[in-house]
Amino acid sequence: MDQSQQAPGSLSWRLSSHPITLLTFLGFRVSSLLVYLFGLLFTDNLVMIFIITILLLAADFYYLKNIAGRRLVGLRWWNEVDPSTGDSHWVFESSEPGTKVINATDSRFFWIAIYAQPLFWIALAVVAVFSFKFIWLPLVAIALVLTVTNSLAFSRCDKFSQASNIAGSAFNGGNLAGSIASNMVGRFFSR
Amino acid sequence: MAAPNRSHYQSAPQVDLENNDEEDINDLIDPDDADINSFDDPLHPQPSSSRSLPSGNISSTAQTATAISSRWGLSGEDRPAPLNTIDEAVSTTLLRDLSAIWSKLKEVLYPKYLFGGTMTSISDVRNLRLAQAREEIVGLATRAMDADSLLNNNHMSSGLRDWDLWGPLVFCLLLSTLLSFKSREQQREVVFSGVFAMVWVGMGVVTVQIRLLGGNISFAQSVCIIGYTLFPLVIAALLSALSLNWIARIPVYLVLVGWSLAAGVSILGGSGVVKNRVGLAVYPLAVFYLGLGCLCFIS
Repeated sequence: MDQSQQAPGSLSWRLSSHPITLLTFLGFRVSSLLVYLFGLLFTDNLVMIFIITILLLAADFYYLKNIAGRRLVGLRWWNEVDPSTGDSHWVFESSEPGTKVINATDSRFFWIAIYAQPLFWIALAVVAVFSFKFIWLPLVAIALVLTVTNSLAFSRCDKFSQASNIAGSAFNGGNLAGSIASNMVGRFFSR
Repeated sequence: MAAPNRSHYQSAPQVDLENNDEEDINDLIDPDDADINSFDDPLHPQPSSSRSLPSGNISSTAQTATAISSRWGLSGEDRPAPLNTIDEAVSTTLLRDLSAIWSKLKEVLYPKYLFGGTMTSISDVRNLRLAQAREEIVGLATRAMDADSLLNNNHMSSGLRDWDLWGPLVFCLLLSTLLSFKSREQQREVVFSGVFAMVWVGMGVVTVQIRLLGGNISFAQSVCIIGYTLFPLVIAALLSALSLNWIARIPVYLVLVGWSLAAGVSILGGSGVVKNRVGLAVYPLAVFYLGLGCLCFIS
């Protein structure tokens, strides 16, 4: 398909406004899966595969949480600890409404990747259980924890972001119902 | 792909992480001109909602939590981010995180609570005497001024406030790999996975012990600190992988285990465990380090 004919938001990295970030992000996401799935074709060393996969998963977690999330969709989350009491405190940030333009392609790639990855790992966990390869279960469990954490945290960031976006736009336009409807339709089709 | 909750996007953002599945459907629409900070308390007017307070380790009982989170009665805080920090360069982020890791590692390399100040002797690193010594210091401090919290904050803040899991991950992997080098070919995977699991389970057990003794430290923080204090043991494992003579191992490894313990205690020791139970809280930590040290010794 010709580039000029691609609708905004279609899944082509050329339409991205942060192509390097996007490609690195997708690279990390896919590479951990690939190493886990096909690593044993190239080496018999289980330990090596284990280490590489874990390091890739950790890098992916870090990159998504600290870099890709805020550059692609303007969301960010972290955990703080109050040093006097030791209570954790989660913070979910989203860019202020109207200040950051979020590319539809970036956003679509981001959300597809963020929700698809846990599903893949769940499938791989099922496969590992039913093919009695229990040695891989710890690795799959770690992968699930890392990916699911990011998915949940970012979806919460996103809820807040949308809520404040709607509040802002409705306030400006003075038409609450219309803006909700158009936002809903727009978001439904843009992802 | 984000479709499941798409039609509820107007819900106010007080959705907590743990009850994230279907309970947020019943949320109200907040007034369109509402500021973020002027939302109503979502828990109050909704007796029919199935929403419940989050349970689990992120407790909502914090009295010192910020106004927002305590008003929402939730585990987290949502807020808009200023654009200048959300758009910062990648290199800034990387540098900041690397320097955070380095500062944590420095606290381990130089356990100032033991080596600085009045306690200079390494041989003091025995649990009972350590507990006594700590009590002495605490007593001294409270007599001088109300400095107990100062003492705590003094050596906890930088390492504890923002935790990461790079240290535990990397050192755990290094330890397992180095220990599995010298094992027989058939046992290599078993040794690797055994050490790997032992480290994580050990960290969990030690943390639970500290929590149960009333320590004010979160689970992840404790895992972070214990993970970073594995560094001296990684040196021990490296020496084993290089086939150090077993006679030379005994003193060297004892010193390395003592180093780990000193670092762990100097960071964890002030974590608010009831004062006369510090020894009890430190004991499993000592067992953990000693066990790993023995593994390094026999490998």
